[in-house]
Amino acid sequence: MNATDENKTAAVRRIILDLLPPEEGDNPRIFGAGAPLDSLGLVNFLADLEYRLAEEFGREIVLASDRAMSRGRSPFRDVAALTEYVVELLAE
Amino acid sequence: MKTGRVIFITGTSRGLGLGLAEHCLAQGDTVCGCSRAPATLTDARYSHYELDVSDEKAVVAAVRAAVRRHGRIDALVNNAGIASMNHALLSPAVTAQQIFATNFHGTFLFCREVAKAMVRQKSGRIVNFTTVATPLRLEGESLYAASKAAVESFTQVLARELGPSGITVNAVGPTPVPTDLVKNVPAAKMDALLARQAIRRFGTIEDVINVVEFFLSPQSEFITGQVIYLGGVNG
Ligand SMILES: NC(=O)c1ccc[n+]([C@@H]2O[C@H](COP(=O)([O-])OP(=O)(O)OC[C@H]3O[C@@H](n4cnc5c(N)ncnc54)[C@H](OP(=O)(O)O)[C@@H]3O)[C@@H](O)[C@H]2O)c1
Repeated sequence: MNATDENKTAAVRRIILDLLPPEEGDNPRIFGAGAPLDSLGLVNFLADLEYRLAEEFGREIVLASDRAMSRGRSPFRDVAALTEYVVELLAE
Repeated sequence: MKTGRVIFITGTSRGLGLGLAEHCLAQGDTVCGCSRAPATLTDARYSHYELDVSDEKAVVAAVRAAVRRHGRIDALVNNAGIASMNHALLSPAVTAQQIFATNFHGTFLFCREVAKAMVRQKSGRIVNFTTVATPLRLEGESLYAASKAAVESFTQVLARELGPSGITVNAVGPTPVPTDLVKNVPAAKMDALLARQAIRRFGTIEDVINVVEFFLSPQSEFITGQVIYLGGVNG
């Protein structure tokens, strides 16, 4: 990972954390058993996230992509997984 | 007061979509429209996106550009549609693909993208387009009727998914209205179709606008997941 990639990852993580209800720990859960968002909450959160990502990076990404849906484990499960997934989409 | 709404209408280059866009502009609304062909409408409050409604990337870009430009979208009218008259056994596979791409996938993509803005606004109105060919089970229009059945079903489920966000989703099902869409239907076939309506005449653009305005009106906030057919056809 070079410096710009690291900056990008940090920026994505910051945006994601900004939009989530405050949680303890290094890698807060987002969606799934024991996670803070229900499905309506997830929909609202992802709509906000796409909007913020477009503002920050000037890129129109769609989080509900084939790539997300074909993964064994949901990229929406926690902050680390979602950050990694968004960085991948931004790199496309 | 109706003026000042921001409305996205698909398929505005001719026919019902053009009539709807002109009507909304005359009311003082800001209208975003689209079609594969260039705009046929010029107005300071009209912006046109040249796109195919089944092209995901193009739809995403257009909707987000419209939201950035106007700050919100109050209503979406999914009017773009194509038809094809043919016996099912004489229908090429590519026709099925094209009809579903425009009528269903196009409606789905616009709903998905515009609803994201509406969820953030916590308000919005979506009106989709179906046809009386679906409830009448019209012979010779199996692919068209099936694609609109998909639109109706999608409308009703989406109404439930978006209800908690203050968004209504309904559909209007016109009878035949003399536009390019029906110009190739033989006269005898058309007479037989009109004879199945409770009120036996062609529909007009005004008849369609009336139902769309009903769904868009502020008083209709408790009306969702409904399909209204013109001419006294029942679902
Ligand atoms: N007229 C009727 O009798 C009747 C009856 C029942 C229901 N309806 C429904 O009413 C709606 C409008 O019909 P109409 O009679 O106004 O049809 P029309 O006169 O043929 O106009 C269709 C409009 O949709 C646009 N369009 C078609 N395919 C598109 C695509 N893939 N991407 C973007 N734009 C597209 C066309 O522009 P481009 O070709 O430039 O793309 C045009 O502006 C349709 O959903 C139709 O099913 C009509």
